[in-house]
Amino acid sequence: MSYIAEPSLARLEQITGSDAILTDAALLAAYEVDGMRPAAAVRPSSVAGVAEIVRFAAAENLALIPCGGRTKLGIGAAPSRYDVALDLSRMNRILAYDPGDLTLGVEPGVTLADLRRALSEHSQFLPLESPYAASATVGGTIAANAISPLRQAFGGARDFVLGMEFVTGAGESAKAGGRVVKNVTGYDLHKLLIGSLGTLGVIMRVNFRTFPLPAEERAFLAEFSSAESALSICRSITHSPLEPRRMEALDAATMRLLGLGQATSGSAEKCWCVLVDAAGTSAVVARHQRDLEGMARAAGATQFAALAAAERETWLGRALEFPRYVAERSYEAVLLRVGAPPTTMIALVAESQRIAQSFSVELAIFLPAAGIAYLALFPRQAGNGPDVLGGAVTQFFAAISGNAVNARDAVAMVEACPTELKRKLSLWGLPREDFELMQRVKNVFDPRNILSPGRFSGAV
Amino acid sequence: MNAKLIRELEHRLGHESVLSHREDLLLYEYDGSVEVARPECVVFPRATADVADIVRLANKYETPIVGRGAGTGLSGGALAREGGIVIAFSRMNRILEVDAENYRAVVQPGVVNLDLTRAVEHLGLYFAPDPSSQKSCTIGGNVSENAGGPHTLAYGVTANHVTGLELVLPDGRVVRIGGKTAETSGYDLTGLLVGSEGTLAIVTEITVRLMRKPEAIKTLLAVFEAVDDATESVVEITRRGITPAACEMLDGWTLRTVEDFVHAGFPRDSAAVLLLEVEGLAEAVEEQAAEISAVCLAKRAREVRVARDAAERDLLWKGRKNAFGAIGRLSPSYYVQDGVIPRTKLPQTLRRVEAIGKKYGFRIGNIFHAGDGNLHPLILFYPRHPGEFERVVAASDEIIKHCIEMGGALTGEHGVGMEKNELMPLMFTPSDLALMQRVRAAFNPTGRLNPKKIFPLGKGCGEVRVHPLPLSTSLPA
Repeated sequence: MSYIAEPSLARLEQITGSDAILTDAALLAAYEVDGMRPAAAVRPSSVAGVAEIVRFAAAENLALIPCGGRTKLGIGAAPSRYDVALDLSRMNRILAYDPGDLTLGVEPGVTLADLRRALSEHSQFLPLESPYAASATVGGTIAANAISPLRQAFGGARDFVLGMEFVTGAGESAKAGGRVVKNVTGYDLHKLLIGSLGTLGVIMRVNFRTFPLPAEERAFLAEFSSAESALSICRSITHSPLEPRRMEALDAATMRLLGLGQATSGSAEKCWCVLVDAAGTSAVVARHQRDLEGMARAAGATQFAALAAAERETWLGRALEFPRYVAERSYEAVLLRVGAPPTTMIALVAESQRIAQSFSVELAIFLPAAGIAYLALFPRQAGNGPDVLGGAVTQFFAAISGNAVNARDAVAMVEACPTELKRKLSLWGLPREDFELMQRVKNVFDPRNILSPGRFSGAV
Repeated sequence: MNAKLIRELEHRLGHESVLSHREDLLLYEYDGSVEVARPECVVFPRATADVADIVRLANKYETPIVGRGAGTGLSGGALAREGGIVIAFSRMNRILEVDAENYRAVVQPGVVNLDLTRAVEHLGLYFAPDPSSQKSCTIGGNVSENAGGPHTLAYGVTANHVTGLELVLPDGRVVRIGGKTAETSGYDLTGLLVGSEGTLAIVTEITVRLMRKPEAIKTLLAVFEAVDDATESVVEITRRGITPAACEMLDGWTLRTVEDFVHAGFPRDSAAVLLLEVEGLAEAVEEQAAEISAVCLAKRAREVRVARDAAERDLLWKGRKNAFGAIGRLSPSYYVQDGVIPRTKLPQTLRRVEAIGKKYGFRIGNIFHAGDGNLHPLILFYPRHPGEFERVVAASDEIIKHCIEMGGALTGEHGVGMEKNELMPLMFTPSDLALMQRVRAAFNPTGRLNPKKIFPLGKGCGEVRVHPLPLSTSLPA
C-alpha cells in the first residue's frame, strides 16, 4: 500500500473537503490496481476541484489513477506507482443534450446505462458499448477504448467523439475539438486520449454525436461446422450492400463460456456461430433476413434463424460481456485483443488454435466485429498458469505480426492477465517504431509522469 | 535567397526537380485563399527518401518547409509564409496498393482525390471524402487540412477515412504510424496528424479506407420560396433522425449565379434550393426519399424533384461543385468563410448573416453543407477598392463570432492556416492553445515546418478581439 506523509494527506483533505476523501484501508481495497492499494481516494465534483488535486499531486509527486466504475483498471501494464485514486464517479451529469442537433456533452462519471436511458427518451442512442455495462462510465470506456460491437457499423470512438475537455498532468484545464458535428479547428488532441488508459489527461467532458434509434432491430444466427465457413459468410456480408449493426463470430468454446447455443452439428468442437444484428425500417430488416439467409446457405450453414426478442437480448448481452465471462471463469486467464485486416483472420484463427494446442492451453475465440478478434487463453491445470500462458502469448504476438503482410497492419495487446504475468510480458508485443513519438506526447501532457504511470506500454 | 541551398537541392534531386527563378515561383505564391506568399524555391520529390533529404538540407540551411498538393486549399495552408522550400508532391502521385478485400488503399500524397475513386470504381469501391475541388485536390492536401465535402454528412471528414501514415519528421527520420487496421496500439497519432496542416510532420504515404458504392442513390432537389422554409426543412430532417448522405443548400442569389453558368436546372425564381442525396439499400433509400419529400413539402417547398437518371444527378452536382467557379465570373475576388453551427440554429443564423451583409453593404451568398451546419457565406469584393477587403474581413469576423456564440466552430473543413489563426482565441483559451503549441514543439521543435500557421502570432493583428468560449460551467443541462 502506498504511503503519503501525514501533512501531505492533510493538505489533500483540505483541497477536497473531508466528505470527498477516503483514507480508510478497507474502503481503499476497492481501488486496488494490480494489487497496489492507494493511500487515498478522492472524489471531486468539479473541473476546478480536479485541476487543484492534479496540481497538488504534481507538486508533491504523487501518482494518480483516474477512475470511474473501476471495471477496466486491469487493462494495461501494472502501474509503476499509485498513491491516489482520482474517482470521478461524482461527476456524472449530462451537461448538454440537444436532441434536435443530435449532439451531447457529458461528464466522465455518467454510466453508459444512465446515458442509454436519457437518450432513449428522445429515441436516440450512442454507439458506445462496453463490458460491465451496468457500472461502466463514459470516461473509463473512452480511456480504455473498449471494444464495442457496434463499431461494425459506427466505427470507433474517434469517429463519433466531437471534442473533449480534460485536465493535463500539470493540472491545466484544456480542451480540443468542439461540440458540433463538423469541425477541423486546431489539433485533435482529444483523439489522443481515446485509449490512453488515463496516462495523458483526466477526461472532464466528452462531446458526442448521437444517433437515432432504429424502428426495428432483429438478430440472426447462423451456425457453421468450421471457422472457414463462418468467416466466409462474414466476408460475404462485408462485401454486400447490407449494413448490419453487428456482426460477431463465436467459436464453440466461446459459446460454452457464455452459456449460449447448443452445437447441433456432428463435431461440436468445430462449431462456429455468426450473430448478425440488422436495424432499420421493417423493409430494411426484411431485406437483411432474405439476403442473409441466402448467404448462410451459400456458406454452408448448418442452421439459420432469426432470434426472438428475448433470445436476441441474451446473445447480444452476453457477447458484449465476453471479457467479464473470461475474467470470471479464471483469475489466470489471458485475454488478447487483436486488430488485423479481415482477410488475415482465418490464418490467425488457425495459428491460434495450433499455438493453444502446443502449449496445452484452452482457447476461446470471439470476433466482435470485422477485423477485430478476442483470444482468451485458460490454463488447463490451475497453478501452472503464468509460465505456460506467458510462453503462449509470446508466440501469439509473433503469429499476429507474422500473419499480416506488413506487421504494422496488425495490432495486438494483452487486455487482461494476472498481475504476475504482466510483469514478465510486454503487453503490446514488440515495440513499434512510433513509440518514441508517443513518449514525446506523454511528456507534453504529463511532464511529471504522475498520471497512471506505467500503465501504458510499461515505459510511457 | 540561398544559392548554396538551391545548388545542393539541384545536385540531390536534379535540375528538373527544383524551381528557383522568380517567374517560375509566381504560381506557387497562391493557393485557393486570398493570401499571397512567395517561397524561395519549389522542389518536386519522387520518393520518401527525396523528402527526407530535402528536410535534412532545410535543417542544414535553417530554412522553412511547406508541403503543397494541388494548391486548392482555402486557408493558405500551402503558402510559404516565411519563404523557404515548398515541397510540391505532384510527382509523388502513385497509388501504391489497392487492397479491395480489406477496403484499403495505400497512396502517395500527390494522388488526386478523384483519381483514387476512378482507379477503384471498377471494383465497386470509392474514396468518400469529396471536396468540391476533388478533380484537382490531392489526398495529401486532404490529410493535411482534414478536408470535408458534401458527403461528409454521412461518412465523416478525411480523418474518418485514414488509418495509417508514413511521415518524414522534421529531423529527416521516416516513421510509420497506424496501418491498415482501424484499431490503434497506443495513442492515436494518426488521428492527431490528420488535420495538423503540415505543422507536425511531412506525410509521404497514406493508408486510406475505401467504401463500397451504395446499391441505390436518389438525388432530390427541393425548391423553396423562402430561405427560412429551406433552413427549417433541414432542422426538421435532422430532428427526425433522417440521415441523408448529403444535404446542401444554395440561396437564391447563389443558385441564379450558378444556373447562368452551369445550367444545372435550379429554378431561377426560387429563394433557395436544397440538394439532398440518400444512399444505401434500395429499401432504405425509397423510404428516406419519401420522408424527406414529405418534410420539405410540409415546410412549404414549392416542389421536390427527384433526379430521374445519373445524367440529371450529375448535372445537379455539377451545379453545386462548380459554384465557386461560377461566382468567380462575377467578381475578381471573393471571400468564403467556413464556420459551423449546431443545426438547430440554422434559421436564425442565416437571418443574421443577411443582416450582417446589409450592415456592411455586401451581398453575401450562401452555398453550404446545411446538413451538418457548415456555413460557407461568400462575400464578393474588389481588392483594388481601398479599405474594402478590411470591411470584408470585419463582416466575416462578425459571422464567425456569431457561429462561436451559438456553440459552433471556426472551421468545418477548410482549416485554420494563415487565414483564421488570429481568430483561434475565439474558440480556445490560452491554455488550450499553449498545450497544442507544446504538442507542435514536440514534433517540430525548430518550428521550421509550415511556420506561422494555425496559432495566433500575437503581434501585428492587435489584441485578442473577444473572450474565448469558456470551459463548461458546472451547470447541468
